Amino acid sequence: MKAESKKSLEDRMLLEKLREILLERDREELQEVKRLLNDPVEVSKRVSPIFDEKLRYLKDNFPREFGTMVDETIDKRLKSSQEELLNIIYPVLGQMIRKFVSQQFQMLKDSIDYQVKNTFSSRGILGRFRAKLFGVKDSDLMLGELDAPIVQEVYVIQRYSGLLMGSYSKTETIDQDLIAGMLTAIKSFVEDAFQKEREELEMIQYGSFKIIIQNYYKYYIAVAISGSLKERDRDELSEKILTFAQNKLKKDIEFITGEVVESISTELKAFFEEDGTNLSN
Amino acid sequence: MISKKVILTGSFGVGKTSLFNQFVYNRFSDKYLTTIGVKVNKKVIEVKGEELSILLWDIAGEVSQDKVPVSYFLGASGVIYVFDLTRPTTFKNIERDIEYLKGLLPNGVTKIVGNKCDLVTPEQITELRKEIEIPFDITTSAKTGENVNELFLKLGEELI
Ligand SMILES: Nc1nc2c(ncn2[C@@H]2O[C@H](COP(=O)(O)OP(=O)(O)OP(=O)(O)O)[C@@H](O)[C@H]2O)c(=O)[nH]1
Ligand SMILES: [Mg+2]
Repeated sequence: MKAESKKSLEDRMLLEKLREILLERDREELQEVKRLLNDPVEVSKRVSPIFDEKLRYLKDNFPREFGTMVDETIDKRLKSSQEELLNIIYPVLGQMIRKFVSQQFQMLKDSIDYQVKNTFSSRGILGRFRAKLFGVKDSDLMLGELDAPIVQEVYVIQRYSGLLMGSYSKTETIDQDLIAGMLTAIKSFVEDAFQKEREELEMIQYGSFKIIIQNYYKYYIAVAISGSLKERDRDELSEKILTFAQNKLKKDIEFITGEVVESISTELKAFFEEDGTNLSN
Repeated sequence: MISKKVILTGSFGVGKTSLFNQFVYNRFSDKYLTTIGVKVNKKVIEVKGEELSILLWDIAGEVSQDKVPVSYFLGASGVIYVFDLTRPTTFKNIERDIEYLKGLLPNGVTKIVGNKCDLVTPEQITELRKEIEIPFDITTSAKTGENVNELFLKLGEELI
């Protein structure tokens, strides 16, 4: 029994040895595979070419393989959210265009300033001449203080119906529904008369009042200002209106009820009073 | 309170402004002062226990004429198309005009109104109903006030 077991032990060791010899290469390979799998750099080195290959194939064949499906999905999405999309794009677009225009203006101003500086000396008679001709900052400021622009009235008006969605007024005025309607009619008329594609009325002036109009997709905001409004003030006002529109106006107001008007009016009052109606502050 | 835009449209001189004045101010004038462009007015009426603020756009001139900006019509919930019961030229284009307006305002409520009924007999109206290709909703007189409030009340009910 003892001899038996010794023999079998020997057998087993022999077998083990044999296995070791036979499988050593396998084991090493297994080890190597394990190492490779655990090393991200190595994995990516090996996998990337396959992916690249697949990606290249997809890129070349994507339109054929998935084109119609994607087109359909996009089409569907666009159709179902057209309004939503326009609501998002409109203010942003407006803001971009306005920024661009004001930048252009600033550049123009700068280049005029530069030319003036180079053409006339700032001293003596030429300096005074220049002040007369182009006006200088100081006198500008003095005038500005006497005649500061003040927001008198703000209207939020539904685009085509001309229905008043909300308003703010420093003083009680005549029926604001009528003002909103007539303003919309005038706006429609002017826009139609000049019929420039997608161009919209942005300012109306009467007497010492200016009405600044900012257009959005479903509504527009009109602000009546007294005093003299400089380009800088106007920019600031536009920014302010935009902030209001983006933060305080719901995008999907279809029906104008008393509650809608009241809530927007309250927001307007809070926004324009808290911030001060004097623009040069 | 709910606000709605309503437009008054139709040929020259059919009595749009007169209907408007009769409805808003209860007055009538024999003088004809043609409307230039558009005039907006407001009247609050009560419909089914609710206040309805009607912003009435009195639009001058023909309907599908390109002289009238399309945007005058847009955003309206109601359309009052007026013709003159005594002048066939004012209803000869009625079918085309209504189609045009329905195209612009697919969800709008349209009322076709034969005005100046004080100038015609009931028999004549019956004849006209046969003659005009589109059935009209109501006959009114801006002069006597006949059916004027009824017209706006009916329209108002359909708007709310
Ligand atoms: N008898 C009578 N005359 C009317 C009636 N309605 C209007 N008129 C008269 O018809 C003329 C034209 O009326 P308006 O109300 O100005 O007509 P309109 O449709 O506004 O005309 P435009 O503004 O030019 O498009 C005026 O002389 C009115 O007095 C009516 O119901 N009966
Ligand atoms: Mg008129």
